[in-house]
Amino acid sequence: MLEKISFKAVSDNSEAGGLLQQRWLRWLNRRLPPASTVTLNHRKLFVLPTAAGMGFLLLIVLLWLLGTNYENNLVLALVFMLVGVFVILPVHTFANLSGLKLRLQEVEPAFAGDFGRAKIVLEKTGKRSHERVRLCWPPEEGALVDIIDSEPTEVTLELPLIRRGKVRAPRIRVESRFPAGLFKCWSWVDLDVEFLVYPQPRSAGPLPWGASVGEGDQEKTHSAGGDDFAGLKSYQAGDSLRHVAWKQFAGGRDLYSKEYASGSDARLWLDWDLLAGRELETRLSNLCAWVLEAERAQVAYGLRIPGQALAPAIGAAHRQKALTLLALFPVQGVSS
Amino acid sequence: MSEVSGQFRTLLPRESLLWVFAAQFVVLLPHFAHLPSWLIFAWFLAVLWRIEVFRGRRAVPGRAIKLLAVSLAVAGLALTYRRWFALEPMVALLAVSFTLKNIELLSRRDAVLSLMLAYFLAATLFVFEQTIPYALYGVLCLVVITAALVAQQGSGSARIGRALGLSVKILAQAVPVMLILFVVMPRLGPLWAVPNNTSAASTGISDSMSPGDFSRLSKSDKPALRISFDGSVPPPEQRYWRGLVYTHFDGRRWSEPGVTGNRWFGRRFRNTQSGQENDGRLPAVGPRYRYQVIQEASHNPWLFALAISDSDTRGVRSTGDDTLVYHMPVGSRLAYDVRSWPRESVTAGPGLSPAEERRHLQLPEEGNPQARAWAEARRREGMDSQAISQSLLALYNRSFTYTLKPPALGADTVDEFMFDTQQGFCEHFANSYVFTMRAAGVPARVVAGYQGGEWVEQEEYLLVRQYDAHAWAEIWLPERGWVRVDPTAAVAPERIRDGLQSAVTEEFMQDALLPLHKFNILNRLRLQWDMINYRWYQTVVSFDADRQQGLLKRWLGEISPLRMAMLLGVPVAVGLLGLLVWLNLSARGPALPPASRAYLRFCQRMARAGLPRRSGEAPGDFARRIERELPALGPMAARITVAYERAAYTDSKGALKQLRRLVRGFWPLRQLAKLGAAPAPHQSVGQ
Repeated sequence: MLEKISFKAVSDNSEAGGLLQQRWLRWLNRRLPPASTVTLNHRKLFVLPTAAGMGFLLLIVLLWLLGTNYENNLVLALVFMLVGVFVILPVHTFANLSGLKLRLQEVEPAFAGDFGRAKIVLEKTGKRSHERVRLCWPPEEGALVDIIDSEPTEVTLELPLIRRGKVRAPRIRVESRFPAGLFKCWSWVDLDVEFLVYPQPRSAGPLPWGASVGEGDQEKTHSAGGDDFAGLKSYQAGDSLRHVAWKQFAGGRDLYSKEYASGSDARLWLDWDLLAGRELETRLSNLCAWVLEAERAQVAYGLRIPGQALAPAIGAAHRQKALTLLALFPVQGVSS
Repeated sequence: MSEVSGQFRTLLPRESLLWVFAAQFVVLLPHFAHLPSWLIFAWFLAVLWRIEVFRGRRAVPGRAIKLLAVSLAVAGLALTYRRWFALEPMVALLAVSFTLKNIELLSRRDAVLSLMLAYFLAATLFVFEQTIPYALYGVLCLVVITAALVAQQGSGSARIGRALGLSVKILAQAVPVMLILFVVMPRLGPLWAVPNNTSAASTGISDSMSPGDFSRLSKSDKPALRISFDGSVPPPEQRYWRGLVYTHFDGRRWSEPGVTGNRWFGRRFRNTQSGQENDGRLPAVGPRYRYQVIQEASHNPWLFALAISDSDTRGVRSTGDDTLVYHMPVGSRLAYDVRSWPRESVTAGPGLSPAEERRHLQLPEEGNPQARAWAEARRREGMDSQAISQSLLALYNRSFTYTLKPPALGADTVDEFMFDTQQGFCEHFANSYVFTMRAAGVPARVVAGYQGGEWVEQEEYLLVRQYDAHAWAEIWLPERGWVRVDPTAAVAPERIRDGLQSAVTEEFMQDALLPLHKFNILNRLRLQWDMINYRWYQTVVSFDADRQQGLLKRWLGEISPLRMAMLLGVPVAVGLLGLLVWLNLSARGPALPPASRAYLRFCQRMARAGLPRRSGEAPGDFARRIERELPALGPMAARITVAYERAAYTDSKGALKQLRRLVRGFWPLRQLAKLGAAPAPHQSVGQ
């Protein structure tokens, strides 16, 4: 199941599809199984001459002709020297990547139509340093890093995301042409990167005040920042920063959030049924836009989609819960 | 799969640009000597322009300017070089492509292309010169170009020290491959005719001789020939290295009408490709000299050898005058093997044909009446050829002087020399002798070449320098054939025996800027340097297919596929093994302190006993867990843990020793087996 998704994700990002590609990917999956930490070694690396390397080979042939025709031993010695360089360079290029450890640090969720960001930590396992290492999701540019000290280096890779849902990123290409650019050594690494992609926010007009078909009574308190200060509660991750009791914090006490009576009373329901008649993805996009708008306006909101409901609340944790619900809504809809 | 994009398309940073220019400059520098000055100027201009572009002061030249530059360059080349099929235009073309590429040196791809051209240009350097200094300079070129290539990777690699260091490292690692290939790779010989270096003036003995030519040569101490013998070495008085025969005299100048440049009259070629067997003249057995001559570039086709010689070296042919010629002018150092039969051992031929006799009696219609009269008088006295020769040599011996600075001669060179000045150098003597003998009706000819040479003891070869250039004569005696007569020997026998320096001590190399030859130590140093050069030619420059076969035979006994495979396979295997070791060693992290190593061994043994240490578990916790789960091992584990903590944190030698002793004696499986509490039967493997 997972593999199927990963095929899809890859073929989304690289146009070439087809049977050959699939076989190649299956082979890669066997040889380089997905893992959040990968240390590159001879089993995972490939080395081939670059275009410049092929040019170098042509140069060797031409110079050999020159040396042979002039029966000039010094020219021939130079040719053989270049052959030696050509023989020794792939070893350097290979050694430059071999022993590099990649670890997936963090994957940030993103909206469809935006870039997903994955933080990857690069680290050396031996004494060898790793120079001019390019990490990318082709055809993106990716990042070019040198890992010379023993300190781990963090890079952020960006992948353009089109569809919502759980998107498995394609394999990451790790490549280096160090030291002379005549050879490239590369690997396709699957760090098990999975993006949670929210629907692309698409505005469906103003927030649906009072239009909700819900069970709650429709009070008009739409200001979350009402003046009814109800008291302090200890801060929890996800609470709005605007509600943090900064004064108390500055006074040397712990973080507290201020609670407002009006906030908990909000009865804004973002309801699936409000958007009847539109396409499924459009509905999700509209709901997403509303969620964001409600957060911006600091209004407590509930979310109702087929089969699921989220009680009204506010804050980053709630927002994420709502967006995750939208992101993971089955593509086919819910038949009921 | 798709390529990493942009690696080639990025604009060149400053360091890359400067590295490319540096590589170009290093490669072009020795070519500046023969490249037209406009081209050098254009190169500097292009570099400046590109730097201005980089600084944003000027735009990248547009299509019109580029087109103009290309047409100007082509016109310049066309005007400078009449002949396209030659070496210099080829080099110039490469230099032009450098220059033109410079103004649009934008991407990494352009830079790499430019550096490939630089490699090529560096190689053409060796076509011009193969001396040791040039070879060293070639190595410098290689280092700089490779460094420039490395610097194209950017960032840290572009630093001067780092780029050069990496370049030297890569090249040093390539040396073993180079050596193996140099010895093993077959030399195929030219696949097609190639243009030669035509600009260099010919040096040494020229195709004609007039008074003063040889005294000019006597001022040069450049090496001309190096000769190594296989077997006996001819005595000094026999060392006449014949190069050219002059048969035509126009009153002042001796020349060989058949030889113009590298084209010889076909009719005078002896068919020698089939060797002496067909010829019948050269005996298959009997005394002969076998030697190898390494000749410096003379840009003339004639070669030098003892009389009567034959050579199997490709491209070397014998002429009817018993000299050797090469199939083209000797543009770079040339080695050839020669066998020579002393004239005495060869039976004389059937006699001169009428045409040949005419050719060797030819004299101008008039001029030099005194000499003619002298010869006539001898003839009338009834002397035979040999007697005339004797009396002429006696005359020289009586009243002539051998000098490097003879007085100038007028129109009748022979008369003035013989009856007036009576001072001269070898060509004066050869000139007057041959003229007089011809006037007396004896077929005679002038032979030009080198005489003598300096024996280099350590390396056992004969070093012949330009000042050993000499001219002598040959006369035809019906009963003996051609006989060598050296009129100079009649005047200055020490010239023949001991060389020029002893014959004209005062005058020798007088005009030299620094009279270096007068200092013994410098002479020795120069000889040392020549020995090094000789070695260089012997081992590197003239390493051809024959020598390759010889060397491989010497190494392998016989050249069989199996032995060749061994010769190739053993170094390759050693190299691969070394690589693996290096890769493994450098892949390891820094070595752990000894206390940790001992403790890790303890952990390994615990793991074998079925109780591995969890990752991140503190040694103390681990010991407590052992106590809990395998009480039999508890006390020992606790002691080891305490010893480890002391050894790791107190830095005391005693604690480390104790820890090691404890770990050495710690065999959990055995202990458990003794107690009958082995955790798992399959793990009770004896240690």
